[in-house]
Amino acid sequence: MSLLRARACLRVPAVPAFLVLILLAGCGKSPSATGSHPLRVWHWMTDREEAFDELAARYQQATSTPVRFELYAPSDVYAQKVRAAAQTEGLPEVYGILGELRDVGSFIQAGHVEPLEPYLSEGGGAWRAALFPKALAVNAFSRGNPYGVEPGAYGVPIDVMNIQIFYNKKLLAQLGVDPQTPPTTWEAFLQVAERAKAERLIGFVSGWAELWLLDCFAQNYAIHEMGMKRVEDTFAGKVPYTDPGWISVLRRFAELRDSGLLASGIVTMVNKQAEQLFANERAVFAFNGAWGVNVYRSMNPDLDYGIMMPPKTTSRPMVTWGGAGSSFFVNARSPRKAEAVAFLRWLTEEPQQRYLLETTQNIPANRAAASDLSPHLAAFADAMDATVHPRLFAVQEASPVIEAFDKGIQSILIGEATPEAVAQQVQEVKARETSRRAQLESAHGRP
Amino acid sequence: MTGDDGRLTLLAQRARRWLGYLGWHALCLPIALSCVFPLAWMASSSLKTQRTVFSDFRLIPASPQWSNYAEAWTRGHFGVYFFNSLGYTAAVVTCVVSLAALAAYAFSRFTFKGSGLLYRVILSTMLIPIPGAFVALYILLNQMGLIDQGGDTWLPRLGYVLPQINAGLPFGIFILKPFFDKIPKELEESAEVDGCGVLGVFWHIMLPLARPALGVIALLTSLSVWNEFLLAYLVFSRPGLMPLQRGLMAFQGTHLTQYALLSAGMVISILPIVVIYLLMQRNIIRGITAGALKG
Repeated sequence: MSLLRARACLRVPAVPAFLVLILLAGCGKSPSATGSHPLRVWHWMTDREEAFDELAARYQQATSTPVRFELYAPSDVYAQKVRAAAQTEGLPEVYGILGELRDVGSFIQAGHVEPLEPYLSEGGGAWRAALFPKALAVNAFSRGNPYGVEPGAYGVPIDVMNIQIFYNKKLLAQLGVDPQTPPTTWEAFLQVAERAKAERLIGFVSGWAELWLLDCFAQNYAIHEMGMKRVEDTFAGKVPYTDPGWISVLRRFAELRDSGLLASGIVTMVNKQAEQLFANERAVFAFNGAWGVNVYRSMNPDLDYGIMMPPKTTSRPMVTWGGAGSSFFVNARSPRKAEAVAFLRWLTEEPQQRYLLETTQNIPANRAAASDLSPHLAAFADAMDATVHPRLFAVQEASPVIEAFDKGIQSILIGEATPEAVAQQVQEVKARETSRRAQLESAHGRP
Repeated sequence: MTGDDGRLTLLAQRARRWLGYLGWHALCLPIALSCVFPLAWMASSSLKTQRTVFSDFRLIPASPQWSNYAEAWTRGHFGVYFFNSLGYTAAVVTCVVSLAALAAYAFSRFTFKGSGLLYRVILSTMLIPIPGAFVALYILLNQMGLIDQGGDTWLPRLGYVLPQINAGLPFGIFILKPFFDKIPKELEESAEVDGCGVLGVFWHIMLPLARPALGVIALLTSLSVWNEFLLAYLVFSRPGLMPLQRGLMAFQGTHLTQYALLSAGMVISILPIVVIYLLMQRNIIRGITAGALKG
C-alpha cells in the first residue's frame, strides 16, 4: 500500500513538469533562430515578407552584416508591440511607427528615434535628393512644431503612395462615357450615377467604414474648395466648422448620397470589400490608394482600368491625400545605429527600390527607381506633387474633432443628419477640445 | 381490438414518431448546414486561384488547385510553425488540466482559512483578457528575461507558455470544482480504507470520474492556444519560434490578401483541432451537459 501511495505522490506532479520540459526542449532551435546577432527590423507589412527576406540576404552578401526582418500584423497589434518595447527599451535597431505625428513626436522626445537630418545632408545631401521630398517631409518636423521636437527628418520612406479614383474602362464605356476622358468635374461625375442605376451597376465604392479613408476624401475637397490656409485656420480655431466653406464640403457627401452613385452600405464597407467589388467589375469607380494596383492585379489581372484625380468642384487645382507609404526609423538607443542608418541608406538605393517595385508593385521612394513605372503606377507617381498629408499641415487638428467630423459625414451618407447639423456638432466638439487644451496649457504654464 | 386494429395503431404510432423525427430534422438541418457552410466554403476557396475565389462561386471548383496546400505549407513556413504550435498546445493543455484538477480538488475537499476568497480571486482573473494587459505583461516578462531577445530559445518559449497556463487555470478550476463537489465522499473513504492517500484518491478515484470535464477543459484550452497569436507577437521576435497563426498572417497583408492560400492555410490549421474534437467527442458532450446540470 505504501508503495502505491509513494508512486501516486511522485506521478501526479511529475507528469506535467516532465511533459513541459520535454515539449519545450523538444521544440529545439530552428534554423532561423540561430546565427550571429543580426540587425533587427520591425515592420507590419507581412505580405512583403519574401521580398524583405531576399533584400536581407542580399545585404548580408554585400556587407556581411546580417539583417532580420520581423513582421507583425495586424497593424494595431504591431503598434502595441512597439509601444510596449519602447517602455522597456526593447526596440530593435530599425522599426516603423504607426500613428499620427504626435505619436512620432512622443517617440522622438523619449529618445527612441535617431535624427536622420545629418545623414541625409551628408555629401551634399545626395541621400535626400534621391527621395521624393513629400514622402520625406511626412516624417519631418518643422521649426516651431507644437511637439517641441528639434526640426528635421526622422524617418526614411521605402515607398510612396497617394489616393485617387480608379475607374473601370469597360463599365464606363457601357454607360456611354468615353473611357479616355473620364469625368473630371463634379457634375459630370454625378451624372454617371443615373446611367449606372439604369444598368444596375454600383457607381462608387470605397472602404468608408474606415474613417481615415473617408477623411482623405473630405480633406481633398476641403483644401480644394477652401484652400490650405483656411483649413489650417480652422484647425487653429480661427475659422469655425459652421463656415459656409465647410458646409459646402459636407454637402458634397449629401449630393453623393442623393445621386445614388454610392454603393449601398458604403459606411459599413471595409476597403478589402470595396476592392473585391471593383476587381470583380461590379463597380464603376473606386476611391483607393496606389496599393490598389497590386491588389487588383492579384485579384483580376485582366481588369482594364484607369486612374483619375477626384473630380473638381471649382477651378482651383485638385489635391490628393498621400506621401510616404511606409517609413523606417532608427533606434537612437541602439549601439548599432550607424549600421542601421547604413542599411536604410542601402535599402533606399535604386537597385533595392527597383526590386521592391517589381515584387510589391508599390511606387518606390527613390525617384530614379520610379522613372519607368507601369502606366497605372505612373499616374500615381505623377500626382505626388499634388499630394497633401495631415502631418504636413502647419496646425494639427485634435483627434476627437476629426472623429466627430468623419462620423458626421457617415451620418450624412446614411441620411441621419444634414450638413448644417453635422457642422454644428463638429464645432461643439472643437469648442470643447479648444477649451480643454487651453486648460492643459495653463496648467503646464505654456502659452 | 382485432389484429387489424392493433396493426393500424402501431402504424399510426410509427407514423407519428417518424413525423416527429422529420420535424426535428427539418428544424436542425438548416442550423447544421449554416454551421458547416462557412467551413465548406473555406475548403472550397482553398482549391481556387486568387482570381477564381471571386469569380467561381461553385462549391466544387472546376479545376481544383491542390497545389495551394503545398504552397501554403512552404510559403507560410508551416513546417516550423505547425510543430511549434503542437508543442505549445500540448504544454499548456497538460499543465492547465493537471494543475486545474489539483487546485479544484483542493478547493472542493479541503477548507482552509481564506479558501473561499482565494477561489473567488482566482475566478475573477477570468475577467482580465491577455490583450488588456499587453504592456504590463511585456514589462513583467521582460524583467523575467522571458522576452525573445535573440539568445536561448527555451526562455521565450516559456514566456509564451506561462501566461497561457495562467489564463487557462481559472476556467479549468471553475469547471472542475463542481464536478468534484458532486462526487460522493464515500468513494474517497472506501479508497482510504484500501490504503490510498490524498493524492492516491485524487489519481485513482477523482480524476477518472472527472474525465468528461477534463475533456472539455482540454478541448477549449487547445482551441484557445492553437488560435493564439497576440501573445506570440508580444513575446517572440524570431519567426522560428512563432506559432501557426503567424503563418496565416503571411497571406493576409495590410493591403494584399491571398485568399486561396489563406483558406488552404486555415484548413491545415483547423485539422488538429477537428481531430482532437473527434477523438474526445463523447467525453466533451458528457462534460458539457454534466457541467450544465451541476453548474
